[in-house]
Amino acid sequence: MKNSMSRRQFILAAGALAGSAVLAGCGGSSTSSSSTSTSTDSSSSSASSSDDSYTLVKDGTLTVAAELGFAPFEYMNDQTGDPEGFDVDVINAIADKLGLQCEYLPNQKFDTLVPLIKQGGKADVSIAAITITDTREESVDFSEPYLDSNQAIVALKGSTETEETLNDASKKVVCQSGTTGNDWITENLPNATCVPTDDVTPALTGVSTGSYNAMVVDLPVAKYMLTNSFSDLDIIEEIATGEQYGIAISKDNPNLTKAVNKALEDMKSDGTMDSIETKWFGSTI
Amino acid sequence: MSHMHENAMTRGESHHTRRVPALALVFSAALVLVATLALLPVSALAMTTNKATARPNEDGGSGVIGAMDTRLTWEGTVGDDEEVSSITLSLPEGATFDHASTRITVLDGLNRTSIDGTATSSGNSVDVQFSESIPAGSLVRLEITNMQFPADGGDYVVSGSYTTADGQSHALDDSAAITVIANTPLQAAVGWLDSQEWVAAWNSVPFLGMFLKPQLLLTSFASLFPGWLVCLGIVLACYPFAIVLGLAFAMLKTSRHKVLRAIAICYINILRGTPLFLQIYIMFFGLPMVGINIDNNVLGVIVMAVNSSAYLAEIFRAGIQSIPQGQYEAAASLGMNGFQTMTSIILPQTVRRVIPTVTSDFITSYKDTSLLSSVGVMELMMFSKNLTTTSGNITPYMAAAIYYLIVTLPLIKIVGIIENNIARSERGGGPRPKRRAVAGASQQASKAEDELTASAEVSHAEATKPATDVFAALSAPFVSHPTVDLGGVADGE
Amino acid sequence: MANKHRHSREDVPVVPDALSAEEAASLAFASDKTLTKHHFTEGEHPIVRIEHLNKSFDETKVLRDVNLDVWPGEVVVVLGPSGSGKSTMLRCINLLETPTAGHILIEDQEITGQSKTDVNKLRREVGMVFQSFNLFPHLTAKQNVMIGQTKVLKRSKEEAEAEAMKQLTAVGLADRADFKPPQLSGGQQQRVAIARAVAMHPNVLLFDEPTSALDPELVRGVLDVIRDLAENSGMTMIVVTHEMDFAREVADRVVFMEDGVVVEQGVPEKVFDHPENARTAEFLGSIG
Repeated sequence: MKNSMSRRQFILAAGALAGSAVLAGCGGSSTSSSSTSTSTDSSSSSASSSDDSYTLVKDGTLTVAAELGFAPFEYMNDQTGDPEGFDVDVINAIADKLGLQCEYLPNQKFDTLVPLIKQGGKADVSIAAITITDTREESVDFSEPYLDSNQAIVALKGSTETEETLNDASKKVVCQSGTTGNDWITENLPNATCVPTDDVTPALTGVSTGSYNAMVVDLPVAKYMLTNSFSDLDIIEEIATGEQYGIAISKDNPNLTKAVNKALEDMKSDGTMDSIETKWFGSTI
Repeated sequence: MSHMHENAMTRGESHHTRRVPALALVFSAALVLVATLALLPVSALAMTTNKATARPNEDGGSGVIGAMDTRLTWEGTVGDDEEVSSITLSLPEGATFDHASTRITVLDGLNRTSIDGTATSSGNSVDVQFSESIPAGSLVRLEITNMQFPADGGDYVVSGSYTTADGQSHALDDSAAITVIANTPLQAAVGWLDSQEWVAAWNSVPFLGMFLKPQLLLTSFASLFPGWLVCLGIVLACYPFAIVLGLAFAMLKTSRHKVLRAIAICYINILRGTPLFLQIYIMFFGLPMVGINIDNNVLGVIVMAVNSSAYLAEIFRAGIQSIPQGQYEAAASLGMNGFQTMTSIILPQTVRRVIPTVTSDFITSYKDTSLLSSVGVMELMMFSKNLTTTSGNITPYMAAAIYYLIVTLPLIKIVGIIENNIARSERGGGPRPKRRAVAGASQQASKAEDELTASAEVSHAEATKPATDVFAALSAPFVSHPTVDLGGVADGE
Repeated sequence: MANKHRHSREDVPVVPDALSAEEAASLAFASDKTLTKHHFTEGEHPIVRIEHLNKSFDETKVLRDVNLDVWPGEVVVVLGPSGSGKSTMLRCINLLETPTAGHILIEDQEITGQSKTDVNKLRREVGMVFQSFNLFPHLTAKQNVMIGQTKVLKRSKEEAEAEAMKQLTAVGLADRADFKPPQLSGGQQQRVAIARAVAMHPNVLLFDEPTSALDPELVRGVLDVIRDLAENSGMTMIVVTHEMDFAREVADRVVFMEDGVVVEQGVPEKVFDHPENARTAEFLGSIG
């Protein structure tokens, strides 16, 4: 808990104060959030009200937007087509704690998730291994981080590529559009051609067929995909970014953020989080 | 500079006293400095600078521009025998960390360590005090958002110092240089727009600000240009092949041999009956799977050419079949063989007839190059999608729309003109309608069977034609792929 | 092309009594040299010989056992009501239609059942002028006249151009050489079409209702050109037309067809003034 609080605390001195204030306020009154939510859903101006009520797109339901091609965080079950994954378990547990049903929107593109939440009206939250970044925080609020992550450079097995050799005009490095991997390439491999795609699978396929020299993607996803589908690929470099995933929530719905944070806090203390982590990663992270 | 020098000296002295006390008085200060600096890189005892990078802030470009907000990312590793309690980073004069905010990440290997800090900015340096000492061997990343490099371009190194837990101060290695470009004319123009009141007013309207933000429109134009060239390049390169292929399959489809006809029908129907998007996916992911690796752009040209050829084959076939039988008979009566008839009589006429439809198909193909963005061809849509992603604004798409229209609108106009000309020239062709005889006979002296009548008809055609043609021309490109409706058939005999 | 359907029999009044086999046989090979004004020379062979020609479109019999000899230099005008099969017979002569049965000989050479290349060779010998001109609209008048010469006869461009100008001058259109067909009147187009056919120097020239598609005021110019050709070129010509005055003036022989059969033939004076067959008389009466 201290860990996650700290991230915000020192972005700026002022920001830290504000962040602490939010958390402090949250601790005292969040218990009433879920019980009052249904009765105040219809009030459109509740964002500015002083009580703890939040608005929902659909009464009694937590509507979730995600890009469902990011195993093991979220993907569609082959048979049922239902969303599955670490994030799915997390948001379901949160919804449970808030006394809400959890409902996923159809598959979205990753780079539209933050704008979708910012614009509002379609989904209440987005949980999709979204790294908390300053840029994204200009558009949406994030919950406290629920998982730490890193990036990985994936290339063909036996490839001699390194971060240095990839930074060359002749190299094509693929990523999922709008991800931190995308950002990382533009900043750290300025000479290479960055190729953003909508989906992870075609990107990795492109690497395995030689269309692209490498892919930069979240490390857990790289590990999962390489184990399950792309045995011809290898993680050639783990990039220690220490980035953290958060749940994106509209800035107009601060009480929902508070409620989600309270739920996350509860999940961490009551072991729910640990068991979800163990389920998906074999151990706690 | 003096600041850096001072740091270096401090460090030199401290090492000197600690490690080689007996020689301290013997060597000159300069020699000591050189020796210690040489030792530093191999020593893991002190904190090392891993790298410093800046996020590109050139709208739609990859450059780092001075005097504009950007994010500096600095990474260092704490030495094996020390703990760090604060870090100060400095940039040369002109850079500013005022208004910047700093994000601290401390990692032990890949695992995050929860250490926070307070950043204090002052001019061209920023000082970060950690809430607790950073353990030995940790990776420290400082992401300083909203800082600015000096306005003049150049290569800038990040220098600085750190304080260990026991209160000693040491200099940090200089980072590799970060290349910063001076403000471009484009950015200057954006800056000018930023300062305009009308722009602010314009952007305050949500729709206008989201779809047509002037600053972004300007920068999008500049950065979409290469994508536009790729689009044009692909469609221009693919079209000659598409025409040749299309012609070949049109011939096959009109062939007398069943097998050839069947081949052509399969080819045409499969390509016209499946989405281009699917064909792109199959070619881009399927071919490499079977070991065929082709450059993305070249493959893009191939897919577009193959797809277009199916539509063109149908257009050509209809065009060929719209040529009246009398033309074949006239050619035959002169003793021409099939090949001669085709090349010197039928095709030249077909070309004229199909130009409007082919142009429409060209427009469609040009627009369809956008689908190649899904497989990583760096064309217009790809660029605009990236820009939209980074800017969170729709304006880059509008800029892309304008780039498409730059090509399509003139072509649409040309289609209209060509259709007009053809309609005009076909007016006079073939047997003259008998009904004219009744109306015209009394006015015309029998010997004056000349072009007066013909030209009268021409000007009439000119006067009445445009209204209908403009509509047809405008709507043509929006009819997904032009189907084969060539007016000529009806005029046949 | 669609005119093949015009030959359906519904258009034609039912012939009261078909020709007897003897009557048909008597017309065969027109060996009766009194039927034409043609001046025969010793041992002369017909340039076109049509023997027992039959042609059907699907179920419709358009030509029924047609027999006709045409002599070198002879001008034969074929008359008859619409749908009588006269155009079809003409088109059989240069194989634009394939005969269903029978034989056609050109210069003693059997042309039916030929290979493709031979057909093209044959067609060089037989020129044709169409009812609807069929000029190539993408070419100028001069190019229309040149293209057959250069592509088929392999004449040089200069040679072909000189010939084209000669023929265009002959039809009075030298000043229209660089006009494209759509810029020409119907009469002018047909004259260019004639020049195009003549420039190939065919042995036989076929005219398929050359003035039917023209406005009345334009007909005369075209007929003047054909008359000039008939009188001065010495070319063998078979002309299908409805122009009675023209037939009377120009023809060496008039052939009257009805219902796919040659009903009567002879010198124009005889056929026009003393028709032997009732149908001929009726047709000439209704026209005249």
